[in-house]
Amino acid sequence: MPFAPVLHSEWLKIRTLRSLVAGLVAVVLVTAAFSALAGLDEAADADFDPLFSAFFGVNFGQIAAITFGAQAVSSEFQGGALRVSLAAVPDRGRWFAAKAMAIGVPALAVGLLTGGVSLLVGKAVLGDRGSGLSWGEGLRGVIGCGVYLALMALFAAGLAALLRSGVATLSILVPFLLIVSFVVGDLSGSAADFLPDRAGQVVLHETADGALGPWTGLAVTAVWTGAALLAGAWSVRRRDA
Amino acid sequence: MTSIDVQDLTKEYGTTRAVDQLTFSVVPGRVTGFLGPNGAGKSTTLRLVLGLDRPTAGTATLGGRAYATLDEPLRHVGALLEAQAAHGSRTARDHLRVLAASNRIPERRVDEVLAEAGLASVARRRVRTYSLGMRQRLGIAAALLGDPPVVLLDEPSNGLDPEGIIWIRELMRRLAREGRTVLVSSHLMNETASFADHLVVLGRGRLLADTPMREFIHARVEPRVRVRTTDGAALRDLLARHGYDAVEGEGERWIVHHARVDDIGRLTSGSGVPILELTAEEGTLEQAYLDLTATEAEFAAQSPTQPQEA
Repeated sequence: MPFAPVLHSEWLKIRTLRSLVAGLVAVVLVTAAFSALAGLDEAADADFDPLFSAFFGVNFGQIAAITFGAQAVSSEFQGGALRVSLAAVPDRGRWFAAKAMAIGVPALAVGLLTGGVSLLVGKAVLGDRGSGLSWGEGLRGVIGCGVYLALMALFAAGLAALLRSGVATLSILVPFLLIVSFVVGDLSGSAADFLPDRAGQVVLHETADGALGPWTGLAVTAVWTGAALLAGAWSVRRRDA
Repeated sequence: MTSIDVQDLTKEYGTTRAVDQLTFSVVPGRVTGFLGPNGAGKSTTLRLVLGLDRPTAGTATLGGRAYATLDEPLRHVGALLEAQAAHGSRTARDHLRVLAASNRIPERRVDEVLAEAGLASVARRRVRTYSLGMRQRLGIAAALLGDPPVVLLDEPSNGLDPEGIIWIRELMRRLAREGRTVLVSSHLMNETASFADHLVVLGRGRLLADTPMREFIHARVEPRVRVRTTDGAALRDLLARHGYDAVEGEGERWIVHHARVDDIGRLTSGSGVPILELTAEEGTLEQAYLDLTATEAEFAAQSPTQPQEA
């Protein structure tokens, strides 16, 4: 069966669930709000990074993004919904690819919007302290923010398909992002640089001081996401619905 | 003409065999009742037919093709599996729109099946607010979406009110009249007897019977005749002479075992015994089914704790 109708159907599924649409809106609002808060903190720091200050809210906005990705998949594992979906689209590989695209594309669009809003808010709050930021750096940050949030949403989507549960996925990812990565992240220059969130957020910093650059960092996150999606696809294809 | 063909189908979960070398066919133009107690393997069989579960062995095909190879399958097969499958936060109409989109079914069909299922007025309400019966109607609407020649319904009358039960019965009979293949699982005997033409009976994953419903009942329930007379003694003597055993019931009623009205009617009319009433006591599906399962239980008791035949 052709791909376009399957994609259309998956996109409709997302549009018609209020909680998913709300999740996407939350990505923008949460990120911008926390970026503004970070900018208000005037404590002069030796390694103050105006770009990351403008994108600081991504640390929290990404929680909304992974919730969106996890929920979009986990809604299929409630009350036999997956059976109805797979009875309509028996080609499971194609079905999961459409699902991932229906999650990834809006997440990217919302991520780019988030980046733009966050940068504007951040710069406004920073005032003079942010005047050193070039347009190029700003643009890199916005694009990086969009790609990063889309990758994180898809990472959660892949994991949710593997674990067949949104709750399980979020109870792994949220503590990981909020605690483990924050703590381990200070040990820069180690293997921690290659964690999906640490690596992907290099692009949001003005200067990269670890092993990875802005784009190689995103590439590392993309590898994590690819692995999660493959594992999810494997689970969907192999297991009884 | 699309028939469902199940061939040596086996499904094991760990060490339990949910479906055990099942072979049967469901043909178009009649309603086939799929009977068996809970846990007999009916739902598993339906999932295997729909390619949702992977069989341990054997095949299930629709018109000779495996479900997974069907292009736009909702146009070939409509299925109701679980009433809870629609997401509670979606409206009924959106639930069907999503399904229709994947199989390129025009959106006009969505409103048609909603009207057919009696949900037109509540189509834009969230499924969460639906009663079990309304969810069941939505599931049936989803099954009809692609106007499919094959319809599979798992316990469709679950949660339906009396009006709904009549509706689903008429619907199934109409679908069969239109030449579709209709397979309906149930564990309710009287309900199944009201719509099925043919029966496939499962017990512990195995095929127990695959026969027309009338034959199934006649083969298993002894025919009886009820006679009301003012002269019981004469009746008993007359029948005894012809080898029938009449037992007196209440209020001048006599029950003649292993007899048909045709025979008893002819006998009594020639004899002058006054007959006030002569009725055939039809066997019910329930009696026939219990007889079948009793035989099975006996068989199971005779071969205790037989684990799995490899």
